[in-house]
Formats: sequence, C-alpha cells, structure tokens
Amino acid sequence: MQLTGLLWGHRLLKKVEFPSAEVLGPEASVDEIKALIQKCGEVFIKPIFKGGVGKKGKAGLIGRAKDIETALREKERLYFVEHTFGNTKTKADGVTFEGAVPAQHEVYFSITDSTVYRAPTMTITHHGGVDIEELPKDKIAQVPFDPLTGLKSYHVSNALEDLGAPREIISPLVQNLPKLWTLYNNYGFSLIELNPIRMSPDPRSGRLVPVACDFKASFDIDDPAWKRLELPPHLFASDYSEFEQEINQLRTYQGQSDVFVINPHGTITAPTFGGGANALVTELLGERATISSDFGGNPPYEKMFQISRIVFKYWLRQSNVLFIIGGKANNTDIYETFRAMADALREYFHKNGPTPLFVVIGRGGPNLVRGMAYMRDTLDTLRLPYRIFGHDSAMSEVVNYAMKIDDWMQKEGRRMLLEKWGVVDRAREELKEYVAT
Amino acid sequence: MHKEGVKKFPYYVGINSLAEVATREDRVCVLNILGTESRTVTPVSHEFSGGNVVFGTSPGRSGQALETKVGAIPVFNSVREGIEAGHKFDTAVIYLPPAGVKDGVAEVVRFNPDLRKIVIITEKVPVHDARIIRAICQTNGVDIFGANCLGIADAWNKVRIGGALGGSKPEESLVKGSIAIYSNSGNFTTTIAVYLLTKGWGTTTSISSGKDVYIHFAPREFFNALDNDERSKGAVVYIEPGGYYEADLEINKPTVACVVGRWKARLTKACGHAGSLAGSGDDARAKEKWFMEYFGVDGIYTPEKPIYSKKGAVVTNIAHIPEALTKVMELNGIEPDFEPRGDLSLKCWFSSNAGLPLPQDLDIKTVRAISPYGEQIEEVNKQIGAMYPRQSMKDASGASMMDPATQVTKLHGVSVLDASRRSLEENLVMSLLKDYPSDYGRALANVAFNAYLNLHNDITVLASDAAREAENSPNTVLSTALSVLGKGKVKGAVEVSTLLLELFQYSGLKDPTGDFDFSSILKGLDGEKKRLLKADKGDTLAQTVLKKIDSLEGKSVFIEFIKSATQGKPSLDAILSAIWMTLGWEALMTKRISRNTILMLPWYSRIFSTMVGASVPAKKHTKDSFCGVKCKELIEEWGFTESTFLALIGRKPTDVELFEFSMLLGLLISNGPGTISAQGCKGGVSADGPESPQRVQINKAFVGFLTHTGFAHGGNGYEAIEFLIERFRDRDLGNPSDRNHGIDLKKMADEYASWYKNYKAEQKAIGNIDYMKIPCVNHPVFKGKPVNYDPRERFVKELFDEKGIYNIFHDFYLHLVQALFDARVTPNVWCVNVDAVIAVILLKIVWDAYKKGSMTEKEIENAAFTTFLFGRMIGCAAEIDDHINRGRNMDTRTPASQCRFVG
Repeated sequence: MQLTGLLWGHRLLKKVEFPSAEVLGPEASVDEIKALIQKCGEVFIKPIFKGGVGKKGKAGLIGRAKDIETALREKERLYFVEHTFGNTKTKADGVTFEGAVPAQHEVYFSITDSTVYRAPTMTITHHGGVDIEELPKDKIAQVPFDPLTGLKSYHVSNALEDLGAPREIISPLVQNLPKLWTLYNNYGFSLIELNPIRMSPDPRSGRLVPVACDFKASFDIDDPAWKRLELPPHLFASDYSEFEQEINQLRTYQGQSDVFVINPHGTITAPTFGGGANALVTELLGERATISSDFGGNPPYEKMFQISRIVFKYWLRQSNVLFIIGGKANNTDIYETFRAMADALREYFHKNGPTPLFVVIGRGGPNLVRGMAYMRDTLDTLRLPYRIFGHDSAMSEVVNYAMKIDDWMQKEGRRMLLEKWGVVDRAREELKEYVAT
Repeated sequence: MHKEGVKKFPYYVGINSLAEVATREDRVCVLNILGTESRTVTPVSHEFSGGNVVFGTSPGRSGQALETKVGAIPVFNSVREGIEAGHKFDTAVIYLPPAGVKDGVAEVVRFNPDLRKIVIITEKVPVHDARIIRAICQTNGVDIFGANCLGIADAWNKVRIGGALGGSKPEESLVKGSIAIYSNSGNFTTTIAVYLLTKGWGTTTSISSGKDVYIHFAPREFFNALDNDERSKGAVVYIEPGGYYEADLEINKPTVACVVGRWKARLTKACGHAGSLAGSGDDARAKEKWFMEYFGVDGIYTPEKPIYSKKGAVVTNIAHIPEALTKVMELNGIEPDFEPRGDLSLKCWFSSNAGLPLPQDLDIKTVRAISPYGEQIEEVNKQIGAMYPRQSMKDASGASMMDPATQVTKLHGVSVLDASRRSLEENLVMSLLKDYPSDYGRALANVAFNAYLNLHNDITVLASDAAREAENSPNTVLSTALSVLGKGKVKGAVEVSTLLLELFQYSGLKDPTGDFDFSSILKGLDGEKKRLLKADKGDTLAQTVLKKIDSLEGKSVFIEFIKSATQGKPSLDAILSAIWMTLGWEALMTKRISRNTILMLPWYSRIFSTMVGASVPAKKHTKDSFCGVKCKELIEEWGFTESTFLALIGRKPTDVELFEFSMLLGLLISNGPGTISAQGCKGGVSADGPESPQRVQINKAFVGFLTHTGFAHGGNGYEAIEFLIERFRDRDLGNPSDRNHGIDLKKMADEYASWYKNYKAEQKAIGNIDYMKIPCVNHPVFKGKPVNYDPRERFVKELFDEKGIYNIFHDFYLHLVQALFDARVTPNVWCVNVDAVIAVILLKIVWDAYKKGSMTEKEIENAAFTTFLFGRMIGCAAEIDDHINRGRNMDTRTPASQCRFVG
C-alpha cells in the first residue's frame, strides 16, 4: 500500500502542519493554473500514478511551465502517459500542478523501521533532490531512535551538525521534522519519504521554511491506524489485481491469505501452504504459476472454502494442473482445509461444467489421511486424474512431477480428458489452440 | 536504554547459548490459552515438555482449566491473578489476536520481574506494535521469539515452547542430534528436521524466527548462541528475502544456508511484512551472495554441481540441504548422528488416471505409506461408496443448483436443457447415479421400470383408484399409491442387494459388464442365501424379463451370478436388484454414490414404476396388459418414456412426440432445492432422521414431494393450455405440427392484443388491479431489454427448428408478445417463458384427442399436472437421495426464534 505525490501527500502533511508546495489536481481550471503560475512563477506538471513507480524525473515524466500554454501542453502530454519500470507498465490517470518553490537548499528526509537497527530510523541529508542511493555514505545520516520517546529535535540537530549542514537550515528543520514522526507513528505508516524538502525563504521574515515538494509513503496493511486518514480506497486499488482484492477481503488474523498474481497466462494453479513452501514452489514453478499464495496458518473451513472459490473462479479454466502443496503442517488441519478445497472444486464443476485438470498434491500434517481420502473421493466423483504424495516425498520432486504433468496435459492430456468426458466441442477447440501455439 | 545482557551485543540479548533457548527448567505462562489455536497446540507442547506450562490467562474465564494428559493447566483472568495465586514463570507464550499482542507483552513484563523470554505466535502484528514490544523488552531484559513464528524447541531437552513445531507428534521430527535449525518459515523448521533424518542427522535446538519486519532473535544472535552450544556441531538456516539480518554475520561452525525467493525481486509490492522490493539490496540474490562470501564458495550447491567448503554451502532448494550438509560435515570430519531414516523419493499414496493412458514415466504407482499412515489408508480404502460430512441441508442441496443469472437449473452438473434431450429412463438413472447409463444400462433400466408397471390386483392401484374417485388431484392420487409402497413391499429386493454387495464389495470387481470370475463367490453361497435369490414356482414374469435381458447386447456379472446361483430361475426381485447393482456398481466403486444409495435403488425403481402405473385407473391394468398393451410387449419392446406417454395419452407416441415429450419432462426436472416440491421431499427425509439412513422411508419422502405440489405448483401449467384452447377452440386447426395451417397468427395475435389493451384499461378504470394476466409471458429475470428472451425457450426453439419440428401454439405465443408490444400493452417485447413451452408441447400432443372429443378439458388439465409430476420426480429423487446422504436429523426445521406470530 503505497502513496506517492503531493496531491494526497499535502493533505496528510497538513494534519501535522508540515508545509508543502501548493498543488492543484487534474480538475484544476485554466484560471486556477494561471493563478498558481502567477503566484509561484513556475509550475511543475507531474503525472498521477497509483502506487510506487520509481523515479519520475529521470524518465522525463515531470514537465515545467512558466506560462499557461506550456502548462496545458504538458498536461496533454502527461495526462495518460505510459511508464515502464522494471517488469511493470503503468498508465497515468491525470496530472498535478505543483507551484515551484524557490530555494538554495534541498533536503532528503525519511523515516522507516530499519532491520539494521531494529528501530524506527531517520535518514537525512542536506544533499537532497537526488536519488539517495547515489550519494556517498558520509553525506547521509541514519539515526535510529527510541519508539517510546519518538523522533526528537536533538536527533535532527545532531545529525545535521555531524553532516556539516549549513547553519541556516538547521533550526527550521529541527522545528519541523519531528512533526513527521507524529504522522508516521499514529497513522500506520511503514515509510514516509520527503525528497526534496526545499528550504524556501519566508517572504515576510526572510527565515528559511522547509517545504515538502514531493511525498512518498507506505502503509502497514496490518495496522488499522491508516484507516484514520480516511483515504479513498481507490488510491490503493491499483496495488492489487481484481483477484488479489477479492482474496484480501478475507484477510483476517486466523490463517494466511497472501496471494500474488505471477503470470495471468500460467498453467499451474498452486494453493500453497506455508511461507516456506510458497517461496520454494513459486520459485520452482516460475512462469508456469498463475499465482503465488500462502494459505497456511490453519484457516477455518469457511475461509478456506471462500478462498478456494475465488482462486478457482479466476484460474481453474486455464490451468492444466491444480497443485496443492505444503510441507508437513504443524497446526493446519488437513481434513478441514482439504474438505474446503474439495467442496469448492465440486461447486466449481457443478456451476461451470467440467474443466480438464490433473490434480497433484503433496502434504503432511494433522488429520492427513482423512483429508486426503476426502479429496480422493471428490476427485473420483469429478473423474479427474490425480497423484497424492505424502510429506515424505521431497517437495521439490513433487513440484518437478507437477511440471511434467503440466507439459503432458498441455500436449494431449486436456484433450484426452475432454474426449473421455464426451465434451468433444471443447476438445476440438483446445486442439486448434494447441496447434496454433 | 537497554538492560545489559551478552556483552558483545550493543543491545540486550539474554541467551548466550542455544542450550538456553528451550530448557526443561523453563516455566511457561500462555496468554489467551483458551484461544482456538492454543487449545489444540498447548496441551501437546505441555505433554511433550514434561508439563512446563504453569498457568494460562483468558479474561473472564478464571477458574477454568485446559485439560492435558499430564494434568489440567489452570486458567486465570490475568497475569497478576496467576502470580498472586503463587505461580512463577520465566517464559511467556502469546496467542492473543494481533491488536492485543502489544498489551499482552506490556502486561506480562509489568507483572513478572522474573520474565526472561517471550514467544509470540500471533501473525499480522502491526509494525507499530512490534517496535514498541522491542523497546519494552530491551528495557526490561527479555528475549523475544516471533511474532508470526511457530516457537522454539529442543530435541535434547525434549521441550517445545509456543507453537506447534512438530505438529501433534513432535517426537517424529525433533530427534536428538547435532544440528541446530534456524528458519524464517515455521513449517520449514520441522520440514528441514525431517529431511535431515534421511541423511542421519538429528537436531539440537530448532528456532522458528518468524518473518516480520522486526526479528528479535535474528541470525546474529543465533550464530553467537551456536558458537556457545557444545551440543551443536553445525547448523542449517532457512532464509527468505527482505531485511538485513543476515548481513555482516560471523559464522564459526559448518552451516548450510538455504536461501529461497529470487522470484520475489520481480514483485513491485512488498510480499509479506519484511518483503523486499525490486532493486532493494536485501533480495534473495543479495542474501545468497552474503552467505557465499561467508563460506568462501562461488556458487549454489546442487547435486549436479556440488559447490561447498569446510565452512558451508548455499542451497536454494530445501531438498538439497541433507546432502549439502553431509558433504560440508564430511570436510570437517563429522559423521552423521545415526543411520539414515527414510528417503525423499516420490511416494504416491493415492492415485488415479481417470481412465487416461498416462506416459510411463508419469504413471507413478501407489506405494504403501509409512506407519501409521499406511494403516490408516488401508482402513479408508475399505470404505465402500461415497461418504459425505453431515450438515444441515435446509435450503441446501448437493444435487441441484439454479443459476440465478440464467434461471437454468443443473442436476448433478447437467443442465435441465441438456437433460431435456435425454429420455425419461436416462434421466431417472442419472438422478440417482449422477451419470447417464450406457445403451446397455438404459435397456436394463427400461426392463426394470416396465416390469413393475402393471399393478393388476395390486393394493397400490386400488388405493389410488379410491383416491381418484374421491375427486382428489393427481398428486394426491399418486401419493396414496406411494404410501402403500412401504419398505415391506421392497424387502426382498433390498435383501438381495445387501447380499450382492456383501459378496462382491471386496472382490475386486470394477466393471460389472466385463468378464469376471465369480466361481469362488458362488462356492461360498449357502442354501439359505440361494433361496433368497430363487423364484417361486410359476413366476413367468421373471422368465420374460430374463429372456429380454439375455437378448440384450451386453452382459452383467450380477445377472449371470444370480442365474448361476438359481439354476437359471432367479426371482423378479433378484433380477431387479441385479439390474440396479449393475447400473450402480461403478458409481459406488468410484465413490459417486453411497452404500445406502445402491441398496435402496430397487425401492426407487419400484416408486418410479408405481408413479406411472398408478396414474391410470385399475381398470386399465389387466392380468397381462397395461393400457391395452401386453406386458410382454412392454418389457420386450417399449422404452419407459413410451410407456409413460401411453399412461398419459393412451397410445404409443410417434418419434416426434417421443422427442417432444422427453423434452417436456426434462425441462421440468428441477428448479433447485428452494422449490416447494423439493422442500416437501427434503422435509420428508429430515423428519425420518437421515443420520440413520436405513430408517428413512423413501416412499414417504416422495409423498412429501407430491403433497407439496398442487393447483398452484405444478397444476398451474394448465393455465396456458386453457388460454390457448380458448384462442384456438373455434379455429379450424387440424394438425398443430403443420406449418400450412392457414391461420393468420399475426392477425389473431393483434386482435387479442387490442382486445386485451381495452380490457386492461377498463379493469384499471374500475379499480380492479387483480385483472386477468396473460399466462407464461414475461419473466422477472429476463426483462428490460428492447426484445426479451427466456434462454430456455430459445434453447427449445432452436432444437425444434433444427429438427424441423413446428408447433403452431408456440408460434402464436411469439406473435403474441410482439403484438402486445405493438399495441403498447407492454413497454418492450416480453419473453415467452419456459412454462409456455411446456404448455405448447403438451397441447400439441393432446390436440387431436381434444378435437375428436376423446379427451376432455378436465383430462387435459390432469395430464398437464401429471406430466409435471413425472418430470419433477426425477429431480426429487436426486434431492431425496442427496438429503439422506448428507442431511442431519430434523435439519429442515426453522428455529422458533425465526418464526413470526401474526396476530
């Protein structure tokens, strides 16, 4: 759950009275933009992406304008701009207009919980406005602090002094930066990053004021405190696919329900139990996996049933292999979880008709044989081929077997099964598809 | 500020040796001890560890206790109360929900100055709370394991604290040896321990660290404690991406590091609490590199390319851990702890190819599972037939389901549209066996149904005649007949079924229509049992039936068996049972039907026959004929659908009529478990108590179905027929199948629409909102478009068009909905719904008889209602069987609290 940009950032900063650049949203009128240009001398036009998208400036995604014509031209260029970073492609939905902030100094500031210090940690440098990773270590201060007392003025002043920061920026930062701990600590943040904070002279007093000119935050999904900010849910919607969102609604504390879409065109759907199994199986399956999941933690029947329904709804038809895999469960009741999955499978077949599938299972744990027998009976009823392995088979070998079965199903197993069931039309369709690929 | 612990750390760490992690001396208090998870896990830990839990807390439950095999663990409201009661402990285990974990830590630290360790099992603890928990424990000198972990264990000390390491049998995985385990994954902590056994390695201390942002007892602390533990000669660590806990470690004992999760680097959002993001410096590859540097190796260990040093090896697959560890230990001159136990090869416990020819290398055969699983599997394999968990089946069904979007109901996964292309006998078999029969099976079913159609001198038809004469509706008449068909009437057949099941269940028979040598079974059959199968003298019907069966293309093991056992003279009951054993055997063996179902099939069969037989008066049943057709001919030449048509209309159907009639019955099969008819039959089962399935009176459940139909449900099909008769009565309509009927249907429809428009306006003007509605047009779901269609009507229309079948009444209906729109009676073109389809098919069938005067309007009304009952008995048979198999006693009742008094 990430939030970037000043459009929402300035509203959050306002909660703790931290100054930020003036910002207008995509709905701003020509008059409003003109007024902003007049007031600030220049505006920056930035596309709005949901979630984190890497560095916008480097990718030429920030426009600047000193007149309304340029501003509108940049708006047109950036409003629906497409941006690729890593493996991900994303499309902007609107732009913001941010008033330029004149300044001589740019500061980088962030708070996050550091695994190095095992404490909340401030990172600060007065060489801001650039990628923090590009700076040498001696130009950055990392200061862990006690969460019970929080970020204090002296943390800031000591750090800046150690860095040899210009004297005129120290006092205004000391006064303002601790406010950000209040925001971080009270609203479920796991990261807050302001880069740059531009040190702008106050027109009346001439004193420097820190003005946030960009905003980035991550929230802890397990901390309900972020809900106090009453942010509209659509801000986080693009973080998750439709499938992930549906599963996330079932996120309760008993039983894991972490899922990620790995390959929307995958051919093996693997409900996986346990974080370790999840990591291992997803790695071995690679692009064959539709999803990566961890459903361990002894989920109750109803939760497992609902999760399975959603998983099957999205992924079963395209899958050659339903691969149920986990180690020897310590606490998860195999009978309950297998019964839930089997019932959901039966319901899927009843509702959508049969779909060719080979079921491969590897599992151990309490009530194992009862659970396996229930699954076996269901699979027999649905006339699906299967192999069920015990926990004394190496998990990676079971994964390899599932992959071989996947190949065979793709080549001929699917069609053979459809023909056996008398679903000849679909068998023909699948043959055509296979030949085409 | 932190309390001083082990000096080498700049923060508090109390545990300096792995031997101190989980000891026999530790005394434990469990917070939220009566929570769902703790209730199962804590007793096992307590028993395994020699009774180390001194008390637990659960607010509001003081005075209760958690029972264990080594004594009850007392429960208090709070930690303070437990301490005041004189209990002392140094270790706390936290099972509280996430929001309560921080407070739990504060409570236990505040009230117990002796506290040294906390194990937090809870998942999804907010990072905000985790940082405060750390601060509290640093200040007070307490070590923390977790959160989001499975606890800690020690195979030497036989102690397990916190979660469920080793599941319900910790001794299976926690075997004393020389390797310490540290794992980010709870499950893998013991999975690795079990894998190590295959190379002869046991364990010392096992730590499930959890994988939250805050890991308090991290690898740094682990490796320090490893150095100071004399028992541990080496270690295995299982590490996932995210966090810098593995950076800059000092590792002094041989170690295998398993780092898994390269794929996570591709994610653009955090995966799990401590997930790493693309481009961050703590992904799996970075961690692999750290460990490679510690060990002085330049690659990942795989069996094909084993790269390792005296210091250790890095693997990315847990299956490679035992081998890599053995190699590393070998370089250090350290032998395994014991002989290898088990192996990690593929061991298949259950398998099925579902009839597919799998390539040899994929066709892995089942092997006997290790003890005790092998014995358990042997037991479950002895179970014959499907077993369903019992649950309340009120308003629920495992047989039928209506799709709210299409209003199309499926029975055992077959939509009624598809079912309508099948014959009645096929659908009746499918309703109980969940699959359609083969041609041979269908022929057998026809014989079984037709053999019991004639009820000459039978009390059932006499009873139904009495009911008919008393002017009861068709459903009441039929329920009278079925009330007589109690268990006693089918006792003989059910006994034979029971005998055949006993004889063949473990015989290895899979396909009852294939070759099978039953000579040894026959040998063991005593005289008494043979008598059960044998016909009484003069049972000519049995011989007729047998002759017919012998003439069929196909063979039945069961028929052959009863013939052999009776020197070719089995009773009709025995034949009926043998037929149904043949039909149901494969479904039983593949667990699609239950044991009880296969035993009761003859009863269902007799009920179907009686439903049709008793629908005609006794006078039409003579000694050797039914409705004027010789019984011999019926058995030898007729299908059951034809016989049913005969019962209704009094003659044999033409091929087109047979097709239309089958379709009609198929469309009526079911509308899901919520319909009144289904509710009626389910209530009948529920009241008998399906938990003792053999006691359920199946005929009575059918009576429940029948009494839950009536003039409004089932009988209402006649409204549309009546409407059409009124329209066509005075027209010169000869054959309704003839396209050249010479009637201007458009004009007829326009005139009616115009009349109806005026009629409706007049009625509204006088305030009558209860005016006559045109039956079978419009539908609550299929509406609102410019032109609306009921998909079920479209299906039938297309099928008729495809076969070149014309129906003038259907055509009129289609003109009518357009005319109603043209006349602005309706806001758009309404659909012709499926009930109209049923009416037009039936009216077409009886039109000739009606025109000739051989069938009165009353008789047509009865025929319409009875047709509904015949179609619906298919669906209700499935509901009854399903409810018997899955339901609970009296599960259809509504609790008094949900009932309303209307004063």
